[in-house]
Amino acid sequence: MISFWDMSKKKIVEFSRYPVAFIALFVQIFLIIAMFLFASLAFTPANAPPGTGRDLGATVVYGFIVGLFLSFTLWEIGFSIREEQTRGTLESLYLSPASKVSSLVARVFAILLWSGGMAVMAIVFVGAVVGGLPAANVGLALVVLLFSISGFLGIGFIFAGITIKLKETAQLLVNGLQFFFMIFSAQFFPFAALRQVSPLIVDGVSKWLPVSYCVDAFRSLLIGAEPELGLGMAAEILIVVAFGVLSPIIGYWIYKRFEAGARREGTLGEY
Amino acid sequence: MAAVAASRGFGLGRPGWRARADVVRTVFLARIKIITRYKGAIFMEALLPIVFAAMPVLLGTTVASQQGVDPGKVFCDNTRVGGLCTENFKLYMLIGASTFTVVSLMMWLIGYWVRREQETGTLESLALAPARRIWVLAGVTTYAFVRAMVAFVIAIVLGSLVFQVNPFERGVPAALGFLALGLLPLWGLSFMFGAFIMKIKEADSVIQVLQWVLAFLMGVFYPITLLPPIMQGFAGLFPPTVMTDAVRASILDISYFYGSAYGSLAVLFAMALVTPLLGYELFEVTERRLRRKEGVGHY
Repeated sequence: MISFWDMSKKKIVEFSRYPVAFIALFVQIFLIIAMFLFASLAFTPANAPPGTGRDLGATVVYGFIVGLFLSFTLWEIGFSIREEQTRGTLESLYLSPASKVSSLVARVFAILLWSGGMAVMAIVFVGAVVGGLPAANVGLALVVLLFSISGFLGIGFIFAGITIKLKETAQLLVNGLQFFFMIFSAQFFPFAALRQVSPLIVDGVSKWLPVSYCVDAFRSLLIGAEPELGLGMAAEILIVVAFGVLSPIIGYWIYKRFEAGARREGTLGEY
Repeated sequence: MAAVAASRGFGLGRPGWRARADVVRTVFLARIKIITRYKGAIFMEALLPIVFAAMPVLLGTTVASQQGVDPGKVFCDNTRVGGLCTENFKLYMLIGASTFTVVSLMMWLIGYWVRREQETGTLESLALAPARRIWVLAGVTTYAFVRAMVAFVIAIVLGSLVFQVNPFERGVPAALGFLALGLLPLWGLSFMFGAFIMKIKEADSVIQVLQWVLAFLMGVFYPITLLPPIMQGFAGLFPPTVMTDAVRASILDISYFYGSAYGSLAVLFAMALVTPLLGYELFEVTERRLRRKEGVGHY
């Protein structure tokens, strides 16, 4: 636990040396949301019912929040290993008695705190633009979000391992995965949009992604609507909880396999 | 005699035009060789505009269909300017996203090049070399341009297949002309961006936020006439906005931000003259100031 706190503090100190980065992150969030809100305005009929903007804003921002945590987890855990490789500190870190799990999770702890703050600001911003956002079942939605983040940690661990193996190429994979989830887990639009293109997309791809259930459950709980993936809220929450419990365990196991391979080959410090 | 000595560089070795072209060629080839080791990167860059365009298309289609209206008709009604509009929102988004990728890539590649040279300590070495920085920058920006255009072409072709649209129906020569002219001010903006990165020494976060500022001002997913008037004014002074607007207007037969094709052409031409010169001047001034104070090697 001590090593986890020390490593997290180190990350916080590192972030604090780049204040522009903090401000940039906030600005980025607002701009992305503003762009999608403006884009949706272009498709909203003039005689649309008053609640249309509200529902739309909620769909975009609640899905975006889940996507935000997923992106940061992927990049901070997965790709920060790459930074350690290029700086030459990964091998030294692994020679130290510090817990490897703490080392991985501590990388993302600070940014998750910051992401939480940004998520709140995003909700306030969109709420101000569209005249208030629905906020039903907040407590349960937060529980879903916590288990979702836990599940994302597992995916991050896997990518940390892949980064050790593939090095610079892993960046492409992280980018690709980010966009894959953005589309197939319907972060910025309802699953109905994908179903309109082809039901096979939802039934054949989206339904097999745990991240889809994280987005659907979180969003549907807050909007107070039925989930779109057809399993019912109880089943979706169960899937998210199972994802949150199992994913870090499996992800860390896969990471250890990659790490052991790199140590055997002597490529841990290579970049 | 004095004039001859001055014109010949006071006896100092000065690279001729062949050497300058060689500098540009060498830098260009070096960057190309590096990127060919990561073939997936170019493919990912080509996929990005398709993913970006897909999101508002999917969102907008759902919004319109939930109201029981045709998304193309609603889009046309909401974006009508000067009596002209288009129902082909998919192509509209694809063009916006693809031109945004060109702009974003050029900024990104120049910004990261400056930052990487600072971090590896080779920026100072470049400053000491007899080649002028403009030729090195020309090599890097040419590489960025080629890479961005490859991604653009692949994105347009693939995106046309994915979205089932035909961007080659009309106005292609005019669109290509606007694209070519719009890239010149982009060069200048890239130099300005490089100077900014050199000064603040923080590439990642700045590049990411500026990327989205660009997308917002360019009207990637919407016409800039939807923005408040004061923001329309800002956006209209931004060369990539004018370029995107003009390319769209040519292909989709909608109105130009500056009233007509000739209006947009004139504005873009003026930007193409002024921006590269301004950009390079800013880069030189920033570099000189850094060299006087802390050196360009600090990162």
